[in-house]
Amino acid sequence: MKQSEIRNFSIIAHIDHGKSTLADRLIEYTGTLSAREMAPQVLDSMELERERGITIKAQAVRLDYEHEGRHYELNLIDTPGHVDFTYEVSRALQACEGALLVIDAAQGVEAQTLANLYLALEHDLTVIPVINKIDLPNANPEKVQEELIEIGLDGTEAIMVSAKLGIGIDETLALVVSRVPPPHGDENAVLRALIFDSRFDSYKGVLVYIRVVDGSLRVGDQIRFMATGASFEVAEIGVFRPHPTTVSSLTTGEVGYFAASIKTVQDTHVGDTVTLAANPAEEPLPGYRPAQPMVFSGLYPVESSDYGRLREALEKLQLNDASLTFEPETSAALGFGFRAGFLGLLHLDVVQERLEREYNLSLITTAPNVVYQVHLTNGEEIRVDNPALMPPSGEIQEIREPMVNASIITPSEYIGAVMELAQERRGIYKDLSYIDKQRAMLNYLLPLGEIMFDFFDQLKSRTRGYASFDYQWSDFVPADLVRLDILINGEVVDAFSMIAHRDKAYQRGRSLVEKLRDLIPRQLFDVPLQAAIGGRVIARETVKAMRKDVLAKCYGGDITRKRKLLEKQKEGKKRMKSVGSVEIPQEAFMAILRVDDK
Amino acid sequence: MTNPSLSDWGLYIHIPFCRSRCTYCDFNTVIGMGEEDHRRYVDALLLQWQRISAIPRGNLVSIFIGGGTPSLLAPDHIDRILEAVRRKLGISLEGVEITMEANPGTVNESRLHKYRLSGVNRLSLGVQAWQNHHLQRLKRAHSVLEAAQGVEAARLAGFDNINLDLIYGLPQQTLAEWEDSLTGVLGLNPDHLSLYQLQVEEGTPLAVQLQRGRASLPAGDMSADMADRGRERLIEAGFVPYEISNYCRPNKHSRHNRLYWTMNPYLALGAGAHGYWNARRWWIIRGVRRYIEDLQAGGNGIAGEERLERLEEMREYIWLGLREEGGFSRNRFRDKFSINPESAFGAVLGGLHRRGLVERQSEYIRLTGRGRDLANYVFREFVGSS
Ligand SMILES: Nc1nc2c(ncn2[C@@H]2O[C@H](COP(=O)(O)OP(=O)(O)O)[C@@H](O)[C@H]2O)c(=O)[nH]1
Ligand code: SF4
Ligand SMILES: [Mg+2]
Repeated sequence: MKQSEIRNFSIIAHIDHGKSTLADRLIEYTGTLSAREMAPQVLDSMELERERGITIKAQAVRLDYEHEGRHYELNLIDTPGHVDFTYEVSRALQACEGALLVIDAAQGVEAQTLANLYLALEHDLTVIPVINKIDLPNANPEKVQEELIEIGLDGTEAIMVSAKLGIGIDETLALVVSRVPPPHGDENAVLRALIFDSRFDSYKGVLVYIRVVDGSLRVGDQIRFMATGASFEVAEIGVFRPHPTTVSSLTTGEVGYFAASIKTVQDTHVGDTVTLAANPAEEPLPGYRPAQPMVFSGLYPVESSDYGRLREALEKLQLNDASLTFEPETSAALGFGFRAGFLGLLHLDVVQERLEREYNLSLITTAPNVVYQVHLTNGEEIRVDNPALMPPSGEIQEIREPMVNASIITPSEYIGAVMELAQERRGIYKDLSYIDKQRAMLNYLLPLGEIMFDFFDQLKSRTRGYASFDYQWSDFVPADLVRLDILINGEVVDAFSMIAHRDKAYQRGRSLVEKLRDLIPRQLFDVPLQAAIGGRVIARETVKAMRKDVLAKCYGGDITRKRKLLEKQKEGKKRMKSVGSVEIPQEAFMAILRVDDK
Repeated sequence: MTNPSLSDWGLYIHIPFCRSRCTYCDFNTVIGMGEEDHRRYVDALLLQWQRISAIPRGNLVSIFIGGGTPSLLAPDHIDRILEAVRRKLGISLEGVEITMEANPGTVNESRLHKYRLSGVNRLSLGVQAWQNHHLQRLKRAHSVLEAAQGVEAARLAGFDNINLDLIYGLPQQTLAEWEDSLTGVLGLNPDHLSLYQLQVEEGTPLAVQLQRGRASLPAGDMSADMADRGRERLIEAGFVPYEISNYCRPNKHSRHNRLYWTMNPYLALGAGAHGYWNARRWWIIRGVRRYIEDLQAGGNGIAGEERLERLEEMREYIWLGLREEGGFSRNRFRDKFSINPESAFGAVLGGLHRRGLVERQSEYIRLTGRGRDLANYVFREFVGSS
């Protein structure tokens, strides 16, 4: 295909404004899938995505479109909306020249609308605003147009669409052709293709998702990854329509995937450049800024013999999720596992669920924490991503915690409620501006550790669901933080250690031991639970020894059933972690999450 | 209390009919059946009995007619059943313990007298509580007064071996009410008492009530206090505790139930009954209609079976045997399995001994007091994969 007939574009939006539905319509309208093959949000292929109704992975699909007698190849990349997956969005955008910015006609501009717009502008994309859901009775497209003008876009040229009813679809496609620039690579240069994603297939090995920037790629080519130097023969090339469909080549500007019997996951890096082994390019393409994981959690197999399987599963997930990091760690309480880094809590949740579902692992996840910068009295500076490894306070000069720039858009009557919440979370007020007559945007500097748990839920509940929220990484800032330890039966259980602000640590400690008292089943003996700050005990509870555990009846007809019951109880116990001689159920390790400060 | 000889065996006969359904009940029983259904059921049961070809070689020491509510069956039916047993085995049932379960409110003296004449010599009555509000809440089909009258009638009908059942840990039950229940049943001067902690079985109306918050179980350790108090009271009154939930006047233990805990053979008759013999455990079709149809169609009524591996059988022998107050006999274990329990399970038994949960008393291995409280903890060591 000639570059002038190719358009690579993406759809970006605040969550639920209708990206996936619009993508469905585009796929349908261009006949890429027949009506019979269509399912709502057809690009959300992961089971998890369908269940939760969110897009987690960026997806790519090739559409054939005829416009004014000419044939075009449109490559559409659907992207996730949640802040945790900004990194995915950013990678997808790098493979495009244009973006459709979808705005809900009833909701208007929201926090992620802005965040995604800025991201698109950073990548020099042509942005086409699309006002969606014009069919809604409370749609107010004129107001949205004004808001668009307010944020610097030409609101008057926005396309009026109802993705649900299929209104404005042809116009959208026509504008993609006329406004998004075609790719402008060098067709005669040697191959340079950007890896924007990858996935493991048990038959074909690693599937490498690429955008060809210069030159072209054919089946049988011997390719080389520029960062790792590894070399492979291309066995299969394909495009997504949206199901993988094989083709014989990818030319300049095209998007697709290839397989080359790549068995080792480490050979491919998202952001790396693919070139030809025989005639390599001199310079790799600019890669991606590596995403910095800010949230960490320990992942441990319930069965210690699953450690190897967990490692393999993490390696495979990493292929498909370049922002996931992990390294081995050992916990006195939980044995061998990994400390994994995530972009946020939803990301953690998704990874954990994929590990359990797709790899059939049973895991204990320790409560997540942010990463800290610690300046020691001896002048050294270290990063601490596991609270249990926080040095004793005597060795610490200063602890710095990660901060984010948060923007919250809210109807003006809730400004007070939002400010109160931000203050409770130790937020530092920056500024306030109005998007339109009724809605304001508040900017705060907030500790990431304080927004990790239930900030978003709180924000929603205090604004009756009207506020939207987005944040970007800011900086590390000194804070008065202490390490809180939990002792069970007199022993510090490393998996329970956490870092808390001094003002909140006491209350946290109290509620945590109370929570644990209810979660830890009674044992043969009394089990003392203590919370301690810097070795000083601040709270204490006791799990009383088990009084009775007896099956009242057991006669002829019951024996098999009672035996099965005992077996089931025994299995349940095996799923607990034995720390010292105390059996602790898995839920207990996540208890910190549900401890509030009030 | 001497142990049954290894070859002694028992016969369990299930009668799956009740007048109404108690809220906690998950037994195999149906309500709303009439005379005609009873007859067809007993016909099927007799067919099943005729079709049993293998009979253990040892002595039949006990027959247990359980339910359900066997006392809903007219005395004629009970007579037909016992007569069939006599005929097929060619023995008199003179020395055999023949227990029948009955519910107060379904029996009077003359009916009980007829059961007695047919050969029934032990009666087990469900009293459950000494407060009408608890009985009503549990949907028991009788009152406290009827329970007392039932015992009285049984005595007059010639029963000198009577068991009464009580349940503790009932929703909203207080310790004082439990004490009253104990006083009440002791006043009836029974020969045997079973004190059961209420078990909430999935799918029962009780389980639903609890889930929906329409009833609540006694808080904290109240049930444990009730258990301890029950044991104390019965021991004071001269009863011998001989199993986790069972107490008797000297020598009035249930010979039948002991067969379960000593892993003696027992055959199964009737819907949902379980049998065990020669490392094989089998069970009969549960549904009453399907049971009858199967027998009418020439079947033997068996729904399923499991074979116990030798190791499984030994482990079961231990945890069942430990239910008895005296524990299990090492010699009898060796006679049955040709190995000492310590040789087979030395490490596990040693560990339990160190934790103060089991002890050895001459040739018996038994639970300590603490072991009795935590019996399941001990039993779990003898089930499943380690
Ligand atoms: N009424 C109406 N609803 C729509 C329209 N487009 C999408 N929706 C609904 O909005 C919700 C979110 O859509 P989805 O495509 O998953 O949004 P995404 O999170 O941006 O991918 C779904 O319930 C859609 O059915 C539209 O044009 N009109
Ligand atoms: S009388 Fe016994 S078998 Fe019948 S319903 Fe009540 S508890 Fe169940
Ligand atoms: Mg979506």
